[in-house]
Amino acid sequence: MPLVFFSNGSDRMKRMKPEATLSNSEDDRYETFVSCFAHHEPDLRRFIRSLLPTWTDTDEVLQQTAIVIWRKFDQYDPATNFMKWACVIARFESLAYRRKMARDRLVFREDVLELMADEGIEEIDSRRTEHEALEACLLAMPEKQRQFLTLAYTPGVKVKEMAEEAGSSAASFYMRLKRLRRQLMECMESKTNTAGAMP
Amino acid sequence: MSPSFNQLSEEERNWLDDYLGGTISVSDFDALQDRLLESPELRCVMRRYLSLDTTLQSECNESGFASEMAASPWLRVVKPAASFSKPARFPGMIRLATAAVVAFFLGTAAMHLNGLKKSASDDRVELEEPSAQGFAVIGRLFDVDWKDGGATHREGDMLGAEVFRIAAGVAEIQFFSGAKMVVEGPAEISLKSAWEALCNEGSVRMKVPPAARGFKLQAPSTEIIDLGTEFGLVVKDGEGHVEVIDGEIEVRHRREGEKRLLKNDALSLGANAAAVETAGGQVVFPDLTRYGERSENRDRLDFQRWRNHRDSLAADERLIAYYTFDEDASTPLVPNLTIPRNTELDGAAILAEPVAGRWPALKSALEFRRPGARVRVNIPGEFSAFTFTAWVRIDSLDRWYNALFMGDGYETGEPHWQIRDDGKMMLSIMVDDSRPNPGRANDAGFHRVYFSPPMWDLSMSGEWMHLASVYDPAMRMVSHFVNGAQISGQEIEDDFFIDTLRIGNAEVGNWGQPFREDSTFAIRNLNGRMDEMAIFKEALSAAEIARLFEASRSDRR
Repeated sequence: MPLVFFSNGSDRMKRMKPEATLSNSEDDRYETFVSCFAHHEPDLRRFIRSLLPTWTDTDEVLQQTAIVIWRKFDQYDPATNFMKWACVIARFESLAYRRKMARDRLVFREDVLELMADEGIEEIDSRRTEHEALEACLLAMPEKQRQFLTLAYTPGVKVKEMAEEAGSSAASFYMRLKRLRRQLMECMESKTNTAGAMP
Repeated sequence: MSPSFNQLSEEERNWLDDYLGGTISVSDFDALQDRLLESPELRCVMRRYLSLDTTLQSECNESGFASEMAASPWLRVVKPAASFSKPARFPGMIRLATAAVVAFFLGTAAMHLNGLKKSASDDRVELEEPSAQGFAVIGRLFDVDWKDGGATHREGDMLGAEVFRIAAGVAEIQFFSGAKMVVEGPAEISLKSAWEALCNEGSVRMKVPPAARGFKLQAPSTEIIDLGTEFGLVVKDGEGHVEVIDGEIEVRHRREGEKRLLKNDALSLGANAAAVETAGGQVVFPDLTRYGERSENRDRLDFQRWRNHRDSLAADERLIAYYTFDEDASTPLVPNLTIPRNTELDGAAILAEPVAGRWPALKSALEFRRPGARVRVNIPGEFSAFTFTAWVRIDSLDRWYNALFMGDGYETGEPHWQIRDDGKMMLSIMVDDSRPNPGRANDAGFHRVYFSPPMWDLSMSGEWMHLASVYDPAMRMVSHFVNGAQISGQEIEDDFFIDTLRIGNAEVGNWGQPFREDSTFAIRNLNGRMDEMAIFKEALSAAEIARLFEASRSDRR
């Protein structure tokens, strides 16, 4: 089975389908899987990210989770919540990954990871609401700040090198990033009625 | 209702940021995990924060789902920038990043179009508009004794919302509203804004011009609103006395109704009692004119001390040239003071204007504010090391490079001593002007710039400072110093080694005649003033530079 998943949208994902070997019902099952997964991928990614220290870790576990979901897809009961089911798998994969990576100093201890995962599964809906609020906050943000964020979050951009090359200290670059991120957090929380927010 | 980010402690919030940035220390990460186990609030906020981070990351990540990208209004807004052509100097970045970089640089790049010899590393990200904190500035200070443990300030320092405490002496505070306060210690003033302050203790004289009418000064149980001109207030042990020197004020004491006071009216303000009318003219409020004379005498003595130092320094055999920019403000001649006197090394001031120096009434300085301002010198000879020192007052770093002392053609062996607009001091010597600089086809020749860390920002505008840089081939070291303290030291590598140094035609405060074959006019004038510059043909030690700073400083600095 080709394992290049979702690296460029759902078209690419369809390639994981073993060609001309599936029966019609399997074909249907595959289509359901793709649409479920595509729909929930961003949520799943956010969930896994809350358990693991870096993007690389997150992507790796997400990929592994997708494989497992596909393998176990026939056990999934369409009457139940797909996302919760997927999260349980992602939780398990994260723990397995943690054991492999436990040398890394930034990996959560097992008890912390479990707690974060269990509570996180219950918060999936709020994550969606927050995501929408965040989009609104980003839109309301001054263009220059948005560009700065785009730059800071673009993979492959080495903030340190770029800041140094640009004659500004990496520290002030990170300070600004931190401030903007906190500002967005406040905005997002105020739009989702989190405690302490302005009315 | 779930907890919010701002309900976390600052420590917790910093942990989260450091965790996101991958910069959290092992011990902090342990502490974070311990706290996570016991705090459901922290866990909840952390998940939300990480989720926000994920969204930002995936929105910027082209390998994410195409459908999500297209659906993101955020990216639609940013994307048009992608049509800008891509400069080749950011290899390996994906298109969107490049677009963002280009969009980001656009504003600042245009500013530098008139600059000379642009190279990749000279572009910079304009992180934000420079801003200064504060709403008041310290005017003059007389015999001020700062309270132990409190902040100490110098004349010209900016003040924001803070508590200003002095144990003794007199200080002048100029609010940006236009109101002026003279306060005599012991005093404690809590500064609120350009329009409001609270006097907890001390003797204060307020002068409020029409533009600042409405300035509010509070005493512990009283509010005083100035309706124009001048009044005095003394507060001691919670009891106050307020008096109008000229004009009119409005006083609200405790819960009493407001009272209007006119010239010579006075009120005694009991901590727990009503305001009582009392006779004016019995309290002496602080007055700067009384202090002025004393201060002049002190300045004169201090200046004489500097002159003695100057005369002994002039005889130092290691000096190449020594300028104090003050001999006769009426001629453009800038004498070189080294003994024995060598008039060949005298400089000529062009467009540089005589202004007040470090002892304002006693010594002048030269200001290089105008783009053409400079002092031209011609210093023949070969040297084996350089030490440059100067007393400089920078108003702002307007130019890309702001000149201190620059060899005209920047030919082999010639120095460039300057400050980049990000506040870094730079010293460089041309190593070989016939050889291209690696990776910099447009550069003047083979050389290396030795930078200090940033040592200046706008908050230091108008402050006199002692700058020194040492080029020491024997020790293979280039060092920078600010106010007698070393701030950097960098090795001279083999490739960039040169110990046959020259100056020739050169300029103080600007760089007017860059290259022989290039008549382009670089504007590198220093927006500021200089009142002393010494150039040595030897590398002074850190201890010597510290001594030089101490001996040449004014006691105001």
